[in-house]
Amino acid sequence: MSADFLFQVANTGALIGWLVLLGSPLFPAGADRIAGLAIPLLLSVAYAGLILAFWSSGEGGFGSLGEVAQLFQIRELLLAGWIHYLAFDLFVGAWIVRTARAEAVPFYLVVPCLALTFLFGPAGFLAFTSIRAARTGRVAAAHLKGDAS
Amino acid sequence: MTAIVAAPVRQPSFGAVRLRSSLRQHEPRFFEAGILLALLAAPTLFAAFVDGRSFQGEDNWIKPLKFEVALSVYLLTLAFYARWLPRGTAQRRWYRIYSASVVAAIAFEMVWICGAAALGTASHFNPSPEGEIFYSFAGIGALLLTSATPVYAWLIARNPTTGLAPALKEALVTGLALTLPLTLLTAGMMSQMGAHGVGGSGVAGGTFPVMGWLRDGGDLRVAHFFATHAMHFIPAFGLASVALWGPAVRLPVRLFALGYIAFVVWVFAEALAGRAFLPGVG
Repeated sequence: MSADFLFQVANTGALIGWLVLLGSPLFPAGADRIAGLAIPLLLSVAYAGLILAFWSSGEGGFGSLGEVAQLFQIRELLLAGWIHYLAFDLFVGAWIVRTARAEAVPFYLVVPCLALTFLFGPAGFLAFTSIRAARTGRVAAAHLKGDAS
Repeated sequence: MTAIVAAPVRQPSFGAVRLRSSLRQHEPRFFEAGILLALLAAPTLFAAFVDGRSFQGEDNWIKPLKFEVALSVYLLTLAFYARWLPRGTAQRRWYRIYSASVVAAIAFEMVWICGAAALGTASHFNPSPEGEIFYSFAGIGALLLTSATPVYAWLIARNPTTGLAPALKEALVTGLALTLPLTLLTAGMMSQMGAHGVGGSGVAGGTFPVMGWLRDGGDLRVAHFFATHAMHFIPAFGLASVALWGPAVRLPVRLFALGYIAFVVWVFAEALAGRAFLPGVG
């Protein structure tokens, strides 16, 4: 199975997850299970399988930028790196949706954060955290029960 | 009024949920490790899917998959049999240390076998100096993890309140007790010989369905398989024996156990003579 084909499959899977998040006000519990758990888990299985199969064939490592670049010379490891983005970005997107729901952040404020997380990962997380801070006056790591006001 | 308030709320109980809690209840450590190993098969299967490399004619990841399945079945079986241990055994300090070391040995085996597959090299019979060191440690680990069967046999035999029919208890204890010696005989000889194939090419060509046993010569893994599964086959016969001859008649179980030993020895001798197991199959 070629890396390019797997890239397409993984991208499609992640995209479905993001569409589910956009529709999440209609079916919140199902959206949490699909985009917050099932699809990130499937992507994680693919990631772990790629690392098991190809990690030993790569040179380089995590020690310097040069080593990371060397690691990504292997296309399958480059693919694994991409799937890592897809899985964790979607997971963070689902966390944003859940947290916004629990803290009664309006969905129209969530949508741009999702778009940013989809395209530029950490930028979306930054945007959502900024919105939460602006609304409550503080930054919290997790939603505290009974905190929504 | 108080009684009504204090009455426990009955949770809806589904088959799978009930099965899980009944399996987990008596030996949570073995149960959870068994489930974890089964889940580990998912990324391993994906690795088999994407990895084009093969070792001795077989996909690199088939061996880790086989071990994940086999050790998962092993742990879940022990978790199931744990209900017949003497009451309180699982809470005893020696038992907790022992069961943790069995799980640690299994974890070591899996890391070793997956690591060798990732590197595209041999785990068992690796001739390099590091390979031999790992192999000798793995031998100790294999002995430790299989030792749970005689320990369970001894504990269950000593328990007068298992509630099992005498014939079934005898089958359970005998099956568990035979697993280690039969495995030592077959796997030990395989280890001494330095290979699992006898007289054939040693390369998986046409192989036995599912199991992957060699077809063009003897394969010592066949006897190893039946030796290790004494803990399943003999108790399973115990169930049949209770149904056919009643709960108190133990002779059929004893005869079956003797026949089973003879069968393992025969399969082993056939492999040593370089003959394939059931040559018409595969």
